[in-house]
Amino acid sequence: MNLDTVTNLFDTYRMAPWRIQRQWIVNFLLAVVSLAMVAALYLDVTARAAIAGREIQNLTYQMAVVNQTNADLETRLASLTSASVMEQRAQSLGYRPLTTDEIEYLAVPGYVRSQPDILAATPQPGLSAPTIPPEYTQSLLEWFDLAFQSLGETQ
Amino acid sequence: MRKQYAWRSNALAGLLAFFAFAILAQIVRIQTSPEAAAFREQGMEYATELRTFYPDRGEIYDRDGHLLAGNRTVYEIGVNLKSMRDPGAIALAVSSQLGLDYNELLNQMTNPPQGLSYLVLANYVESDKALALQTLQQETQNQAASGTLGALTGLEFSSHPQRSYPENSLASNILGFVNREGRGYFGIEEKYNDLLAGNPIQVMVPTDPNKAVEIPHVPNGTTLVLTIHRDLQAAAEQILDKALTTYGAKGGTIIVMDPKTGELLAMAVTPRMNLNEFWNYGVVYDNASEFDQAVSVPYEPGSVMKVLTMAAALDSGTVNANTPFLDTGAIMVGGATIQNWDRQAWGPQDMVGCLQHSLNVCMAWLSTSMGAETFYGYMNRFGLGRLTGVDLAGEAAGRLKIPGDEDWYPVDLGTNSFGQGVAVTPIQMMMAASSIANDGRMVTPHVLYAMMREGHQYNVPAQYAGSPIQQTTARTLSEMLAISLEQESSLALVPGYRVAGKTGTAQIPTPEGYYDSTHTNASFIGWGPVDDPQFMIYVWLEQPSASIWGSETAAPVFSEMAQKTVILLDIPPDYIRQQIAAK
Repeated sequence: MNLDTVTNLFDTYRMAPWRIQRQWIVNFLLAVVSLAMVAALYLDVTARAAIAGREIQNLTYQMAVVNQTNADLETRLASLTSASVMEQRAQSLGYRPLTTDEIEYLAVPGYVRSQPDILAATPQPGLSAPTIPPEYTQSLLEWFDLAFQSLGETQ
Repeated sequence: MRKQYAWRSNALAGLLAFFAFAILAQIVRIQTSPEAAAFREQGMEYATELRTFYPDRGEIYDRDGHLLAGNRTVYEIGVNLKSMRDPGAIALAVSSQLGLDYNELLNQMTNPPQGLSYLVLANYVESDKALALQTLQQETQNQAASGTLGALTGLEFSSHPQRSYPENSLASNILGFVNREGRGYFGIEEKYNDLLAGNPIQVMVPTDPNKAVEIPHVPNGTTLVLTIHRDLQAAAEQILDKALTTYGAKGGTIIVMDPKTGELLAMAVTPRMNLNEFWNYGVVYDNASEFDQAVSVPYEPGSVMKVLTMAAALDSGTVNANTPFLDTGAIMVGGATIQNWDRQAWGPQDMVGCLQHSLNVCMAWLSTSMGAETFYGYMNRFGLGRLTGVDLAGEAAGRLKIPGDEDWYPVDLGTNSFGQGVAVTPIQMMMAASSIANDGRMVTPHVLYAMMREGHQYNVPAQYAGSPIQQTTARTLSEMLAISLEQESSLALVPGYRVAGKTGTAQIPTPEGYYDSTHTNASFIGWGPVDDPQFMIYVWLEQPSASIWGSETAAPVFSEMAQKTVILLDIPPDYIRQQIAAK
């Protein structure tokens, strides 16, 4: 194969415009698909983060509601067992207050007079969320921004 | 043919490319324009909001874990004027459920202040009433035609916590109350307001839900455990109320304290109020000092003061229990004649007799024999004229005039010895007398047993306020007081238990400087069992009309209270304790 033959082949190839056109189209589509993939990924991450944020808000609200309900129930229970209510219930059941001469005392070895209750619950680990890594809070643009900044700082 | 139209495609592509480039150029121009920074700043203002997280107010318990003060949810009911459909129906529903005036509600909704979009119809509504109204709203919505809004559309509910007192008026003087702004008034609620309220936390929260932020942990306010014994408190209040009726007293106080630790087990006063209706404060009380007169109202205690005078005389070596005294019925002090309560001469006595018959002349003789410096030195060490430091709001210091004060006269040395011309609060007398019941060591009265925060409990230790007298003096005087009650066959005696104590009947000074001849303050201070004091009780009845004498009014109240105390505190009678000790 001499040089003329090679030149002819090139000319022939160059002269096929549909090949050039297809190449452009493929490159363009490749770029569009890449961008679409990045956009879809970004949208997915953003949507997930938004849903997680909303869920956190809902859970926080539910926690507040549960705490309120607990406090309400505790107060209601205390009202139902208050001194005056218990006394009325005892009287309605036929009980009456004791007098000193009606009590029989028994010597129980080792008996210790009752002391005030220890009411504190067992210490629990902190309920605050652990520190959230930036991967879960940054947007793509913020990540690019930070990456460029760190790149600029290293140069 | 294709070439013929190719220019059109190229022109269209060029045009679109131009627009795309123009948009990009515009984006870049806006981003880099001088106004961009201002816009970004403006955007940042809306990107976050400062949110304040308020902790729940700490609860208050008695020593056995009964809830005395807690929190409950109440509702604000309002109407969104923009979405409201039928004001008449809303007014009817709200008025029937909450007992409000229909016309007034309707008028508020139909003629709201200009610019108002939300109107509060009722606040602090109980949850069951709010729920009933909410159910009614839902039912009307369900009954409405498809695609239309219910008649109660626009009615809105929002919840918030409110302080709640399950025992209503029980121990109201000790607890105090919290107003609608969340501030504590009187008693524990005021004294420990900062601890109970906790610390609000402010956090910048992004408004963008895309941005997750760390949720701040807001610790609740400190929960307090009191030394108060709920059932003993209830018993004290019942006994006091009964005593006011029986003896026709204007008011009264009963305090029960552990003399070894200063723990206040019960503190009943009159009047009391339902703390859940704190807005009635002005109806129940004329002034703030009436809220807890056990700590806020100084008065002339009368003969209960003789306990302190005798303690000083014994401790200083001026007399001993057997020192003879010839009572002639009068003694001259500072140019004034002091007489006994019955204006009679009681003849030869010893110091037990002086206490038993409550002889003013003997006491004045003791104080003058000690001298002003010694007498007032002891009274000062007993804490008279100073705050005890009890952890309740609104404590008054009382008044002890001493030589050198403008209004002190030499006769005061005599009258002060039997409780005239000196003003003390019941809690001060308890603290001073605790030194006699507690082997010479005076305790600081307190109501806080423990504090709890974040799962940790801190118990408050007993605090001692000095040792004004020696151990031997305290024991001798306790014995003398027990004997004097026994010899007198006092109404204060408690079957099965040996108690020590002293009555007091004090005339009431008038604003004109004289003493009211018709009214008295009747008091009794006592403790038991004498060999191992586990309770100390102070009774004060204000102006009893059935009898002016403390021995006939306050003494039996003491006995009744002591009998209730030994039952509720599981204190066995003396012979049982002695049997156990002997084993």
